[in-house]
Amino acid sequence: MKPLSALRGVALAALLAIAPLLPQAASAQTAYEANLPPEVNTAPALCNYVPCSEVLPGATSFSERKGQPPYVEGYSEENGERKLVGYVVLSTDVTDTPAYSGKPVITLIGLTPEGNFAGIKILKHSEPILLLGIPESALTEFNDQYLGKFVGANIEIGRSRPEEDMIGLDAISGATVTVIAQNQVMMMSGAAVGRQVGILEATVRPQATFVDRGRTLDWATLVEEGLVQRLTVKPEQVGLKRDKEPFIDLWFGYLNHPEVGRAIMGDTGWRDLMGRIKEGEHALFVIRAGGKESFKGSGFVRGGIYDRVQLRQGQDVFTFRDLDYLPLWGVQAQGAPSFTESAIFIVHSSSFSGAFPWKFIFLGNRVDRETGARTFLNFDREYWLPAAYLEGGRPVVTKPDAPWVRVWKTRAVEIVLFSILLVGVGAVYAMRDRLTRMSTRKNKWPIDGFKYAAWIISIFFIGFYLMAQPSITQVLTWFHALLFQWKWELFLTDPFIFLFWIFIIVTVFLWGRGLFCGWLCPFGSLSELLYKVGSKLGLKRFQFMLPMKWHNRLKWVKYFVFFGLLAVSVLSMGLAEKLAEVEPFKTTFLVGLLNRSWPYTLFAAGLLGLSIFTERPFCKYLCPLGAALAMPSTFRWFGLKRKQECDTCKACAVGCGSLAIDDKGRIDHRECMLCLDCMVMYTDEHACPPLAKERKRRTKAGLPLTPIGKDGYYIPIKPVAPAAPRA
Amino acid sequence: MNENAKMNQVEVSPDPSRRKFLNTAALAGLAGAGLSVGLSACNKESAPAPAAGTAPAAAPKAVASGSDLKLHMAPGELDTYYGIWSGGHSGECRILGLPSGREIKRIPTFNIDCMSGWGITNESKKVIGTRANGELKYKTGDTHHIHGSYTDGTYDGKYFWVNDKIHGRLGRIRGDVFECDAITELPNIQGFHGIFSDKRDPVDPAINHTTRVFCGNEFHIPQPNDGRDLDDPTLYYCLFTCVDADTMQVRWQCKVDGNMDLVATSYDGRFACSNQYNTEGGARYEDMMSAEMDACVFFDVARIEQAIKDGKSFTVGTSKVPVVDGTKAANTDPKTALTAYVPVPKNPHGVNASPDGKYMICSGKLSPTCTVIEVSKVADFFDGKLDDIRKSVVSEVEVGLGPLHTTYDGRGNAFTTLFLDSQIVKWNIDAAIKFYEGDKNVQYVVDRIDVHYQPGHISSDMGETKEAGGQFLAVGCKFSKDRFLPVGPMHPENEQLIDIRGEKMVLLADHPVHPEPHDFVIVKREIIKTKQVGNLADHPLSLKDAKESGVFRDGNKVTVRIASQAPAYSLREFEVKLGDEVTIILTNLDKIEDLTHGWAIPKYDINFTVNPLETKSVTFTADKPGVFWCYCTHFCHALHLEMRTRMLVRP
Repeated sequence: MKPLSALRGVALAALLAIAPLLPQAASAQTAYEANLPPEVNTAPALCNYVPCSEVLPGATSFSERKGQPPYVEGYSEENGERKLVGYVVLSTDVTDTPAYSGKPVITLIGLTPEGNFAGIKILKHSEPILLLGIPESALTEFNDQYLGKFVGANIEIGRSRPEEDMIGLDAISGATVTVIAQNQVMMMSGAAVGRQVGILEATVRPQATFVDRGRTLDWATLVEEGLVQRLTVKPEQVGLKRDKEPFIDLWFGYLNHPEVGRAIMGDTGWRDLMGRIKEGEHALFVIRAGGKESFKGSGFVRGGIYDRVQLRQGQDVFTFRDLDYLPLWGVQAQGAPSFTESAIFIVHSSSFSGAFPWKFIFLGNRVDRETGARTFLNFDREYWLPAAYLEGGRPVVTKPDAPWVRVWKTRAVEIVLFSILLVGVGAVYAMRDRLTRMSTRKNKWPIDGFKYAAWIISIFFIGFYLMAQPSITQVLTWFHALLFQWKWELFLTDPFIFLFWIFIIVTVFLWGRGLFCGWLCPFGSLSELLYKVGSKLGLKRFQFMLPMKWHNRLKWVKYFVFFGLLAVSVLSMGLAEKLAEVEPFKTTFLVGLLNRSWPYTLFAAGLLGLSIFTERPFCKYLCPLGAALAMPSTFRWFGLKRKQECDTCKACAVGCGSLAIDDKGRIDHRECMLCLDCMVMYTDEHACPPLAKERKRRTKAGLPLTPIGKDGYYIPIKPVAPAAPRA
Repeated sequence: MNENAKMNQVEVSPDPSRRKFLNTAALAGLAGAGLSVGLSACNKESAPAPAAGTAPAAAPKAVASGSDLKLHMAPGELDTYYGIWSGGHSGECRILGLPSGREIKRIPTFNIDCMSGWGITNESKKVIGTRANGELKYKTGDTHHIHGSYTDGTYDGKYFWVNDKIHGRLGRIRGDVFECDAITELPNIQGFHGIFSDKRDPVDPAINHTTRVFCGNEFHIPQPNDGRDLDDPTLYYCLFTCVDADTMQVRWQCKVDGNMDLVATSYDGRFACSNQYNTEGGARYEDMMSAEMDACVFFDVARIEQAIKDGKSFTVGTSKVPVVDGTKAANTDPKTALTAYVPVPKNPHGVNASPDGKYMICSGKLSPTCTVIEVSKVADFFDGKLDDIRKSVVSEVEVGLGPLHTTYDGRGNAFTTLFLDSQIVKWNIDAAIKFYEGDKNVQYVVDRIDVHYQPGHISSDMGETKEAGGQFLAVGCKFSKDRFLPVGPMHPENEQLIDIRGEKMVLLADHPVHPEPHDFVIVKREIIKTKQVGNLADHPLSLKDAKESGVFRDGNKVTVRIASQAPAYSLREFEVKLGDEVTIILTNLDKIEDLTHGWAIPKYDINFTVNPLETKSVTFTADKPGVFWCYCTHFCHALHLEMRTRMLVRP
């Protein structure tokens, strides 16, 4: 064992030893990162490895995997006769749509012969949110909504819209990304089987009528016009060492078009080919101009299926078997690259049409160099004959919005309101100088009015309604995304969190973390609101602050928590997600205090309870998100103002609820919640000791009280110098 | 080599010492000295060794750069041509990939092949032909000439036909599966030698593809050969045969004078022709060589078929095939003649049609000449426009010793094998015609090259079609002697490959072949369109589903129906009784290309293979009691060894 891995082992063991202390994690058998036998993905007898009968009630025996994408048939035995009772499909046989974790939720789906969902079972997921917080049963309940529904129906997350023939499903609060992905998986898997067994009618696309201008095209023209397309995969994209030579460099094109076909195969060759394929069948060519990887592989030798290339048009996937292959003897077009592997593939389906765009897909797999684990990756390139090559030009194609686009569209109103809130808070804070001057120590309403409003909105609108409480888990996810694979789609799927983080990042660097933490963090707001309310309700005498000595020690704890989580996340994201329960956010907003098991409720309630008596205990000492934001706050652009006398004057520090002003009067922007109390003092001629002193001096001396300048002092009285006598 | 050619043009007379010279010249040629220096070839004595010494740097490179024709196929790279090869007295045909020369397939035809089960399965026996007791009628065969079906003057890849010289049979090979699908025994024939498919229909001008196959007959016999006239060879005669390309039924035969060997057909479809030796009608070889002139006989196909329609035919023995009289005596008036005999010097061998369709070239064999016959002039003769058939000969020039066969580059050059000289001579047809017309300054020989050794047939890429490519040619050398690792007294043949793109020929490669291919054709790969797997419907007894498996008894006749699907047979065991007549029908239900299964029964002398979705059957008597493990002989699966079943023969 190498030292590093030994260390990792020890660390993991230690963490795992702690894990049982978290009650729920250790208890039930969950599908979280469940160990599935490797045969699940490949074995013909799928149902020997997964509980098919659980998703297809009544089925006692199952066929082997059949079709492409594969599915199995389930049978019941009645009076010795075998009867088809439905189909079972493994979601990952159809799609690897990643959920929040970036990994697919491996789902086993049963369908009745009529095409209704008969049963759904999650075999494995890696969703952190379902690990703790939201019980896995929430996903099961979500899935149960599909039962009895038809695979061909329009099922979406959200409200049902009968007028649009849209069936809505209730999302899982706080796990929208997961359920959006899950819906896509369910519908794609169901449709993949449905189309093959005839439950769903195959999409019939009108066939293309080609424009043949009788030209002889050379390769450069073919490339320029987009009649041949290139798909290049670099070694680093599949986890290999970066190299100048591509992993595979393919060119492909659609041979049914006479001009393309002739350019590639020559007149005779093309005529032969067209004579060989039937009406409604399609031919494309593929050549490998670079790289050592084969696009044919060897799977087709034993299994008869080319497992490295396929076409996709809309929802239809076209794969090729050995009999769909014809040799390509050469490329006629002048200037064509030399190639080392070639093929003509035939699409035996009239649901394919050359008039519509399609994608050529190379199915690679990425090998983790450390573990040797393989993950499947698709690389694709779109091909669409240019309008000039089609009679009547390109048909109009409506592409369904990406899931994240649909989310933004369906929640547009909330998104606008939320954006207004964020911009509004930013604007209010930008005008802080004016507001603080309007305020006095006795009357801080010009500031507090806005702040309290922000708190209330934050707690109820952001926290309880939108459930957009930012969390340290997002930081960890980004950290990993940055290290491995950044997918905008993943982050865009939750628009509020996405926008919130833009706000957070901008404000942290402008003003420090205080604007988020002190004004808009739902939990922070709730925490301080409780403190304020407690004070008003007469609990003031019980309220306390930790002595600075202790505060200065304990404030570092949150940094340890943050770096601890970060370190653990490197070893195990799952464990880090579990430990991130140190944030009471999930319990408070996403799930609800009453919906969690008692240790969580006790923890969250305890923190909130403590908040009544001391200001923001969680924010000050524990919050890893606060710690993560505190560090960049060091580099905020605009700090709070100080004057010389602040060095010795303790007036602000005494009133600082964040304990962010040290004995030298310096403000620690990492701790400051931007409550602006000290800024109110700054210009309050009755509260700020240096100002009060000056006020008294001037009053005594009968000097005028000039306005207070930006530096927090009265504008000095400078006698106008008499005009210098001219010489 | 250049000089060599020029010298030879004047020095063509037989000279016993020449052979020795040629051996040295051959080496010189190999070293490329002749190409690079051009002088050393004349220096007979110093040619071999110094060739490398005098031009140390240039010589070896010259060989390497003598041709840039790519012979070595990188892994995964495919050849650009199919070579369709006859197998001689191995009785088979073969497919080579060219230009690499790799053997890709052997096609059992008239022989027995225990890999495929040809001659063992009921299906193949039916094609080959059986006696009353079910045994094969013939177990031997001698394939010589193989030619393809044509559409519009070039190969269409549909069929290839091959002769069996021994038993007088014509076999047909399907171009989509490269398997023999029909064999026809020609009546009253011994020594069936040349064949050629017609290039378009001689009767219906609308049909521009092969409809007939013509067969030359070498050995003259009493007709019918039922024991009569044994001692009077003057009564023996030969029959030229026309077989229908589709039905493989014999359409007609034509009685001719003399013995025929090779056959050619004209591009316009009107004529078939066959070169003849032993026009003397001798029965012993000295008699066969006595005359100075033999002939090339031309058949006017349409006239022959009209004659048959007009009832001017007879039959021979038990054969019902109409026979017309094509002898000289019966065809004295050219305007009605069915045949015309173009006089050609002394025992000519091959006859080959030039790709432009103009000429038939007969090689002299015992005469050092090639005879160029202009087809249009033959037509003129038949039409009464030419008074003397010999006037159809437009050239007859000396090319070297023992000319046998000719091929073409499509650029007006002919390449003729010289058996005795062990050379190939490249000569220009137009120049030869001018020379023959009297312009003695014309040098019609372009180049000569030594081959190793004693060449027979020669064929260039697409050389038998109007699309003659002129890239390279293959030559079948009858002796290999020292060209390969010695393996004992029996030597392989040596098929050599020659680049013919330039003015000079460049010898490219030696390929050992199992004896003894005769003829071959080289077909562009684009033309061949093969099937990837079989079709269940093609066999009436195929199992459409493994569920149809079982043992079905009818008296002592037992039919065992089995399907193979990797890695198992559909029956784990099956039982028959001692003495049963057992028929095993095996369908390979695997649909994956290349997933062929085998079926062997120990001690019952049975083995055959079944390709995906094909069906084969065997019939035998269960005359040995006991357990017999039938197993898959063709590697099919990781569990190939486990793929077996028990035949229980219960006493």
